Amino acid sequence: MADPVVTAVRLGKTYGTGDVAVSALAGIDLEIESGTFVVLSGPSGSGKTTLLNLVGAIDVPTEGSITVDGVRLDGLDGEERTRFRREHVGFVFQFFNLIPTLTALENVQLIAEMTGRDGEGPAREALEAVGIGDRADRFPAALSGGEQQRVAIARAVAKRPRVLLADEPTGSLDLATGRVVLGVLRRLNRERAMTVLLVTHNTAIAEMADRVIRLRDGRIVSDVSNPAPVGADRLEW
Amino acid sequence: MGVLQVKLRRDLRRSRTQVLGIVVTVFLGVMLFGATYDAYQSLGASYDAMFQRVGFADLWVTAAPEGLEGALAADPAVAVAEVRHTIDVPFRIGDRRLLGRVVGVPSGATVNRVMLLEGDMFDPTAADQVVADQHLVGAFGLEVGDTIDVATPAGWQSVTITGVGASAEYLWPARSRQEILALPDQFGVLYAPDRAVAAAGPAAVREVVARLDPTVDPEVELPRLEALVRDRGGGDVSTRAQQPSNAALQEDVQAFGEMSFMFPVLFLGAAGLGMWVLLTRLVVAQRAIIGTLRAEGMSRRRVFGHYLAFGVGTGIVGAVPGAAAGAGLALLIARAYTGAIDVPITVVRVTPSTPVIGIAFGLVGGALAAWAPARRAMSLQPAEAMRGPAPTGRGRMTLLERLWPRGLSAGTRLVIRNAVRNPRRTVATALGVTSGLTLILVSWGMLDTVQVLLERQFRQIVQADAQVAFLDPGMDVGRLGDVEGVAAVEPVVQAPVSLAVGDETYGTVLWGFERETVMHRFLGPSDEELGLGGGMLVGVDLRDLLGVAEGEMVTVRFGSTGEVVAVPIAGFVDEPLGTRAYLDLATLRAEAPRAASVGRQAMVRYEPGADPEAVRRALESVPGVAAVVPTRALEAAADEYMGLFYAFVGVMLALGAGLALVLVFNTMTVNLAERTVEVATMRAEGVSARRLAKLITAENLVVMAAATVPGLVVADLVAVAFMASFDSDLFTFTLHIRPLTFVWTALSILVAGVISQRPGLRTLRSLDVARVVRERSV
Repeated sequence: MADPVVTAVRLGKTYGTGDVAVSALAGIDLEIESGTFVVLSGPSGSGKTTLLNLVGAIDVPTEGSITVDGVRLDGLDGEERTRFRREHVGFVFQFFNLIPTLTALENVQLIAEMTGRDGEGPAREALEAVGIGDRADRFPAALSGGEQQRVAIARAVAKRPRVLLADEPTGSLDLATGRVVLGVLRRLNRERAMTVLLVTHNTAIAEMADRVIRLRDGRIVSDVSNPAPVGADRLEW
Repeated sequence: MGVLQVKLRRDLRRSRTQVLGIVVTVFLGVMLFGATYDAYQSLGASYDAMFQRVGFADLWVTAAPEGLEGALAADPAVAVAEVRHTIDVPFRIGDRRLLGRVVGVPSGATVNRVMLLEGDMFDPTAADQVVADQHLVGAFGLEVGDTIDVATPAGWQSVTITGVGASAEYLWPARSRQEILALPDQFGVLYAPDRAVAAAGPAAVREVVARLDPTVDPEVELPRLEALVRDRGGGDVSTRAQQPSNAALQEDVQAFGEMSFMFPVLFLGAAGLGMWVLLTRLVVAQRAIIGTLRAEGMSRRRVFGHYLAFGVGTGIVGAVPGAAAGAGLALLIARAYTGAIDVPITVVRVTPSTPVIGIAFGLVGGALAAWAPARRAMSLQPAEAMRGPAPTGRGRMTLLERLWPRGLSAGTRLVIRNAVRNPRRTVATALGVTSGLTLILVSWGMLDTVQVLLERQFRQIVQADAQVAFLDPGMDVGRLGDVEGVAAVEPVVQAPVSLAVGDETYGTVLWGFERETVMHRFLGPSDEELGLGGGMLVGVDLRDLLGVAEGEMVTVRFGSTGEVVAVPIAGFVDEPLGTRAYLDLATLRAEAPRAASVGRQAMVRYEPGADPEAVRRALESVPGVAAVVPTRALEAAADEYMGLFYAFVGVMLALGAGLALVLVFNTMTVNLAERTVEVATMRAEGVSARRLAKLITAENLVVMAAATVPGLVVADLVAVAFMASFDSDLFTFTLHIRPLTFVWTALSILVAGVISQRPGLRTLRSLDVARVVRERSV
């Protein structure tokens, strides 16, 4: 078994205190091997986005510990968490959140520059990797939804993170466009040995994952490996 | 250029209209700062150079006792003390008569020398040669070699003008601190050999003028020297700061100094507000983007710096050309002003630090405006990236709806709720409205104030149509009553005095009126009518200047005769021009008979419908009349004196109105831009552009109208403070704003609001709904 890139031990997150305390994640134990494509699924409020946020150091646990890419995240201060996110993880969100006044290339370049990958090269390479190198000089308003999401993926991978965290990346896309985006994620996962954690409501997407973790009420209710993941182009929903 | 700088540039370009408004506002603020501050420096330097050149005195003692000059000269703080004489006598130039003053210039004088501009100095031994003051020459078109008639006890005596001169004492030709509005065609000055002036008779006033050692501190030494003068037998003491011309001109210098502070405060405040509104909206709009950048590892400091750069960059873009333009404008102002006042020496001072300070103002102002939004951006959590575009603000039932649950239509409810749903937006609009109101009301209030005060002075207080001076103070006043067109005549007395309470003294003019006079009304601070009798009425400023209260005794020293009397304060009059003292004639004649005789004059009222010019000429032709000063001429002089002020306030009003428009425009545009997605959705649902425009207009007007009342209160308070900065014992500037001005100001802001919406509403009408949805960004 490969080295785990994510290790969570009795990881918990409670929002609020006293009578209004809400447990979003109730002491889960988890290990994810490097290079795995993992789908986190479950109903609303099950804790999947909370888990993603903890892995991505966007949020801090209230109990337990979590180590990602060799970095123990619990106990890091704000600056250290920022540096961790810059150097180890990339994010793709449901809403593409592209900067409308920057071209596709510039949107990617802005993030690449943060990790010392200056110049257009790394950004163009990332856009090529997601299949929209020819759209590099277009502004977001001139791109389709699928193209915008691929720019968002290029932005996340341009800094070459070990872990890519995707929160409902196809939530705003139609089937065909969603397949293309998922295909890109899968290809990056395979070609760059990038660990992908993908949060989705869409159970159909689980078919393309190496591993499917289902959560409910802040707990892992099933954790299943998929010995024969299907290609994104074969998904139906 | 880094990508973040590219974003900054393009974001600014995207909001170019609002940014341009802010840049122009910063430009104006910094330019006006540079112009007024350097003009302030230049004016001060010009006066200083003139003072240096002519040895302008630091101390004047009128009605000085013999030997005082020796005592002063022996004081280590005094560099030089000299004796001279002055005499106030009427002049006759052609068929015109005017009040005049002949100032004696001792041979070899080193204090208050006359600067010769044309011709030659007089022969010190000649009694019929004079140097004419530049203002008198200008007013009557006189030339070297012309003659002027000067009244003497023996009748009119001709003197020849050998030269034209300027004096630091009469750069502004004011007759006294209380007659600051004297016009060159109503009051003129001649400079003559002191020996000749001293020999002119008992009306010649002995004066000692002294200059301090330049190394001593005038603040410390002048009060000590004033005490020394009092100990030596008194005399009316005044300092350079109190000298009438200098005091009037220093008011202007001070006004420039204050403007150099207030302009940047007003304009950069307005620009800052505009930037704050724009940037706050931008941060809200880019919430998800900021969250994404933070999630991808962008540091809080970098996010903060990026949004701070909006303010700093905009500030610099406006401030740099503003500083350059300010330096140029300062040159023009200084030259124009010193030219208008006829200051013979113009020193134009462009201080290198002024543009630097101006740019710093722009930079710091921009940074301060951007500080809060930048901090807000920095504090946004990465999780914001996961949230889609959310409507700004929260909906809730308003009080009006609770009170009237069924009476309001859905459209009305929408308007009311939208008006209060977003406190930040409402506050921004209210601030925009308040700033706009303030900018307009301060300027308009100044205009109103001056007009109200002039009307109070010349219509409500002064009831006489003319003041008549006599060649012979003993002249029968009744002879004036025979002149055609004259309805009433009263004898009055005008006497220069110094009022003293304890160690505090104040030089002014005391007027004696008949107890039941119809020539002057005595109005108190609350417009209450005060009566003469039972003591002396004095200007309300003396309450603070002398620390005196009603009923307290004041020592009155008559400068012309040296008589000293103690009189109780009977009340305080509130008069816009000057700070005078009034006593009833009977008391004055009994207490100071010589002063009452020397200063005897008359006040005259014309018949209704009489031709004022014809009556004036008829009065001047009465034998024994030295000069006639019509009240309307003084009023016109006051109006003319205020000409520069009107011009300045007019420019300020125009700038203020423009600025208000920019502010309201920015606020309105941002209000509309914030809701692009919301509006696009409503358009998609089939709501017509016309209905949307109506709803948004109604909503903005509700907020603006609600902000108008507190806005007017704040604006009024600022105007009061602004006006108070011009207040002095020379001019009482108590703010008076006409009720209609409030109404027009409020209406103009509301109209500005409606106009300002038009570009935004036009954009909404042509909104590409699909693009907004695709871009998901406002």
